[in-house]
Amino acid sequence: MIEIVPPAFIYILGALLLAVIRERRLRAFLQLFIPIVAFVDLLSMPEGTYWIYQFLGYELILGRVDKLSMCFGYVFVIMSFLGMVYALHVRETGQHMAAFLYIGSTLGVTFAGDLFTLFVFWEIMAIGSVFLIWYQRDVPALDAGFRYIMVHLFGGCVLLAGIIIHVSETGSTQFGVVEYGGLASQLMLLGFIINAAVPPFHAWLSDAYPEATVTGSVFLTAFTTKSAVYVLLRTFPGVELLVWLGAIMAVYGVVYAVLENDIRRLLAYHIISQVGYMVCGVGLGTEMAMNGSTAHAFCHILYKALLFMGVGAVIHVTGRRKLTELQGRNLYKQMPICLSLYMIGGFSISAVPLFNGFISKTMVVAAAGELHRPVIHLLLHLASIGTFLHTGLKLPYGTWFGKVPEGETVDEIEAHEPPLNMLIAMGMAAFLCIFTGVYPRVLYAILPYPVLYHPYTAFHVVGMMQLLLLTSAAFWLYIDKLGGEATISVDTDWFYRKPGMLFLWFVAHPLQNLRLGVQGLLSRVVVDTVGLSKNPILLPEIAIRYIHLKVIHGFYRISGLSEDRLAELKELETRLAAARKMTYDKDVYRRPIGLGVFIAIALLFLYGLIYLIRLR
Amino acid sequence: MTKTLRYIFFIGIGLSMVLGVFFRPEHPHFWWEKIPAFDAIFGFLGCILIVIGSKALGHKWLQKDEDYYSD
Repeated sequence: MIEIVPPAFIYILGALLLAVIRERRLRAFLQLFIPIVAFVDLLSMPEGTYWIYQFLGYELILGRVDKLSMCFGYVFVIMSFLGMVYALHVRETGQHMAAFLYIGSTLGVTFAGDLFTLFVFWEIMAIGSVFLIWYQRDVPALDAGFRYIMVHLFGGCVLLAGIIIHVSETGSTQFGVVEYGGLASQLMLLGFIINAAVPPFHAWLSDAYPEATVTGSVFLTAFTTKSAVYVLLRTFPGVELLVWLGAIMAVYGVVYAVLENDIRRLLAYHIISQVGYMVCGVGLGTEMAMNGSTAHAFCHILYKALLFMGVGAVIHVTGRRKLTELQGRNLYKQMPICLSLYMIGGFSISAVPLFNGFISKTMVVAAAGELHRPVIHLLLHLASIGTFLHTGLKLPYGTWFGKVPEGETVDEIEAHEPPLNMLIAMGMAAFLCIFTGVYPRVLYAILPYPVLYHPYTAFHVVGMMQLLLLTSAAFWLYIDKLGGEATISVDTDWFYRKPGMLFLWFVAHPLQNLRLGVQGLLSRVVVDTVGLSKNPILLPEIAIRYIHLKVIHGFYRISGLSEDRLAELKELETRLAAARKMTYDKDVYRRPIGLGVFIAIALLFLYGLIYLIRLR
Repeated sequence: MTKTLRYIFFIGIGLSMVLGVFFRPEHPHFWWEKIPAFDAIFGFLGCILIVIGSKALGHKWLQKDEDYYSD
């Protein structure tokens, strides 16, 4: 086998090439070609550890290739291709560069074999991804992007602190299982779960993803959280804390999704919910649970991308992103293909049999069952209901069908199917969702552990159908209550947004006033000093005239003013003003000195002359 | 169209209930897995719980005006 280059470098090189190529068609070709090259590269990578570089006495390992990293590597590369097809119509090269940088660094994280390499790519990931938000080029996106990058840089610092303590304690930079217990491991875990969007550190996700560009948000859904799941699988399998965090997270996202009006934000809350299953699987820690987490990450990337592509297409075509602005406009008539493809994603995430969510999500749930964890099992089940309720029923109903609340007028929307490249990308994602759903063996073969789980037992299928059908029945009952409401929901980002605004007010008002005061004082001092320095020799003169004026003035005021005295005061004032106005003229002082020196030299010369004559 | 859909829907529910009686898990992990229509009941009640619980939470506490953060 030929080892070419780490797949991360292929994407980063691709990002640089995009910057210098001016021909648009060539750029478009490159956008699709780079993922293909990376895929071929993945296929040629044998299992093992290579691409090892020495750095400051530590080993940097860029290629730790085993089944776990390969599985994530495959899906990341597949996703990069789908996302690039979807974004093919976007003419802003910067967006594609940011995406390539983001994908490349995610692959860097995936194949990193040591903690330093992991950290470096971890940070590049944050920086690459934030541009996908900022390219939306509006104020909410700019603000959300700043909050996003601040949270991630904070998470990065926490991770780095954890890594440094870990390395100094153990002396090992190896990126492997870390025993959960000490401060180092807690900091590392915190750094990871910030990226995995585990509540209460999740708000960056639902805050920022809906503000990104339509095509950018498709990339965002795939990489950050899933790479965090990957590193959790590597470092903290079997940590009990993660079981509970994951299960709570799965339900948490569902609750917020009920309240959400923004269609992409609703889906963003379902990312949190779905990642909950994966985090829970990591915590359960059995081979089956870890397989389930990996498989679910794989499937989730495909169907969540498809879902974001579907609603992204609606936003792209109509410019609207809220259920309250879309419901009742009957968009299904104008965009039936888009709706159908979205529904495939909706069925996949809801774990409808024959779609890929069914073969992966149930694996995590079954792992919880095998470990006899009743509460976890029921929480995950409950989250499944909520997932279908929103992603499979409420969102498509509200977006493409829906009713306008009484008393509101309907405005017609000009809508049509999205551009062909978007539909093709959605079609490919939909195909993969169904393909892996129907032939789970394809996916099971690349999972890290041997799979003994059979998703398609009659009990599983019938149970799931009961769950989903009766969820639909309940949805039908509450259909009028589930329309969009024009509100936003406060989440844990409140804790930095509201105090943040208070801080901004403090900076903009009291602190700014203080600054202006100090600045005013200093500039007055400067002006006065400059005035004086124009003629420092006159300083005593001015002082004397000033004191003179004040003394006379005070004296006259006590003894009474008369015409003469007023005239005298006026005279003194003009003299003071004249003294103040006087500028330093160097010649005034130079000439007398020059004259003195001249006379002295002349006399010296004369003296010398007389002396010389006398000597003769 | 909607009528046909409704029929299919009800037939689906009926069919899944009937099949649920026949197909039981070989090794139930929890007592509720022995109840034939447990998933149906759980799905129905769970959905209602999610809707009512979340809406109550939202209306009482979490939902704010859209310009909540901008003023």
